[in-house]
Amino acid sequence: MSGSTAFWYASRATGVVALLLLTAVLVLGILVNRQGRLPGLPRFAVTSLHRNISLLAVAFIAVHVLTAVLDTYVSIPVLSSVIPFASGYERFWLGLGAISFDLMLAMIITSLVRGRLNPILWRAIHLLAYLCWPVAFAHSIGSSKDLQQGWLLDLSIACALVITAAAVWRLASAARQLPRAARVQAILARHTPGVPKQRISR
Amino acid sequence: MTSAPLKETLQEQETAAAGNHAAGLPRLLPLVPGVPEDLRAHLARYGRPPTGNPGLIRAVEQSGLTGRGGAAFPVHRKLAIVAQARGRKVIVANGAESEPASRKDNLLLRAAPNLVLDGLQLAAEAIGAGEAHLYLHPGGSQEIARALAQRAAAGLDRVAVTVTEAPPRFLAGQESALVSRLGGGPAVPAFTPPRVSERGLGGAPTLVQNVETLAHLALIARYGPRWFRALGTSNEPGSMLVTVHTASNTQVVEAELGVPLRSLIPAAENAQAVLIGGFHGAWLPNDSTITLDNQTLNKHGAAVGAGVIAALPADRCGLAEAARVVRYLAAESAGQCGPCLNGLPRIAAAMAVLAGSGHHRQVRNDLERWAGLVTGRGACSHPDGTVRFVRSTLTVFAPEIARHARGHCSASNHKPFLPLPDHMPLTEDDWI
Repeated sequence: MSGSTAFWYASRATGVVALLLLTAVLVLGILVNRQGRLPGLPRFAVTSLHRNISLLAVAFIAVHVLTAVLDTYVSIPVLSSVIPFASGYERFWLGLGAISFDLMLAMIITSLVRGRLNPILWRAIHLLAYLCWPVAFAHSIGSSKDLQQGWLLDLSIACALVITAAAVWRLASAARQLPRAARVQAILARHTPGVPKQRISR
Repeated sequence: MTSAPLKETLQEQETAAAGNHAAGLPRLLPLVPGVPEDLRAHLARYGRPPTGNPGLIRAVEQSGLTGRGGAAFPVHRKLAIVAQARGRKVIVANGAESEPASRKDNLLLRAAPNLVLDGLQLAAEAIGAGEAHLYLHPGGSQEIARALAQRAAAGLDRVAVTVTEAPPRFLAGQESALVSRLGGGPAVPAFTPPRVSERGLGGAPTLVQNVETLAHLALIARYGPRWFRALGTSNEPGSMLVTVHTASNTQVVEAELGVPLRSLIPAAENAQAVLIGGFHGAWLPNDSTITLDNQTLNKHGAAVGAGVIAALPADRCGLAEAARVVRYLAAESAGQCGPCLNGLPRIAAAMAVLAGSGHHRQVRNDLERWAGLVTGRGACSHPDGTVRFVRSTLTVFAPEIARHARGHCSASNHKPFLPLPDHMPLTEDDWI
């Protein structure tokens, strides 16, 4: 294998791993948003997992982009990784990749300075995750013949199904959410069942 | 509100103040026991508020006045931030003390409403605010309404004051909760930034000051910083109102900062521990070297806060008291932030287990772990304050925890001691 094909394979492999990681990040993000839990993990650990895997995903995407640029078989300008539709090769599908990468950068940078940011602004930018994943998914399927057949296709379909299920669960969970003022008492009653309600209510 | 309970409270205040020998006290509370000062008495005692002083913020800075609502933030800095802003500005006098154990703001509003309103007008002038609010719990509104009417007749107030009642919630007096309530919403804390001093009521830079702070400001405007610094310590000058709870009674006292705690709690009370600062405060052992100032209290992990001092009688159980308080604090979570919403009920449940008998060592470990997990992760300081209280309970009452673990309790009197409201918020209306 020449150096050049090594880049090409590395780019494709890291791309596939990045798709899996991004799927995990979005599912965990939905879980964090709904204050859900994973079996055997406390809530705060779900948050940490979400953060750490998102940083890991970006590391993989960095390698994915870098190797694609370094690979000399096709010419992909380095700027096309952040500027959409700037690549002559696979202009549309690589453009989608650049868009999803930009969205990711926006979410990560605003999260790193979250403490100094207006929370509404942070949240608005973080909601871009629901745009970012489908765009990244379309980029994965469209720019690579690998994912259009065989077990990689099965894997892609599985990712899409997981994301769809998580999104449906999120909407259903939000719909049955208690009003803010009633949440506290419900949780309090769950943890301290021994205390009769009438003694503490109006 | 009839005048009888006011008179009663004021008499309590005066008997306590009589035992306080510092010269020049009281500064804020009425001179004649049991008699609230109306506008005429107020003007006779203090004179008219000195308006038109461009150096007021500088004088407040030199005086070293800090916020008396609990955070002890330097007042001149808040004044300066809003004064520098352009356009429409708002000032709010915050009389909605959140601590159920604190009575001082309510007493001050009823006993010396004109001092608070002087301070509100003077601070409004200093920062260039064209809109003034007074935010309080029901119970002082009549005295305030009377004072406002008298002042209007005398042409004293440059800026009209809007009075708004706060819901009986622990967090109702928190700055951003206050701004939300004045804006017509529920009294629920908001995430910062932006701070209310940058973007508050209706988007305008908003100065929120505790009513006692404004009363001190009104006196600094009259008598100057040197006069103010004649009492208190060099780092924490002046006097402050404290609410002292003992087995026999509850009193509001005006005390000089830096006085020994034991001068405020009669030795006869035989207290086993002292809760200082309120329910976001800390328990301390009844130690004669501790004084009423943050320099000393911070070394013990405590702060003067809003001036609550509760001397736990020897015959009560500190764990039972703490468990009741933490359950109340958990119930008063606004239910917005996960660590507070999910963490405080767990902590409350564990505290209830400690207050029972025969618990396992694991409960203490769990408490320590959860305490670390909720700290610093709320929009407001509710989880942090609750954890401070819990941690001090674990330290100060460690011997009692060991006793409970073995199935014993040293208390002989099981009547609740610390005052707690008997209802918790159930619907959104309870927050409005």
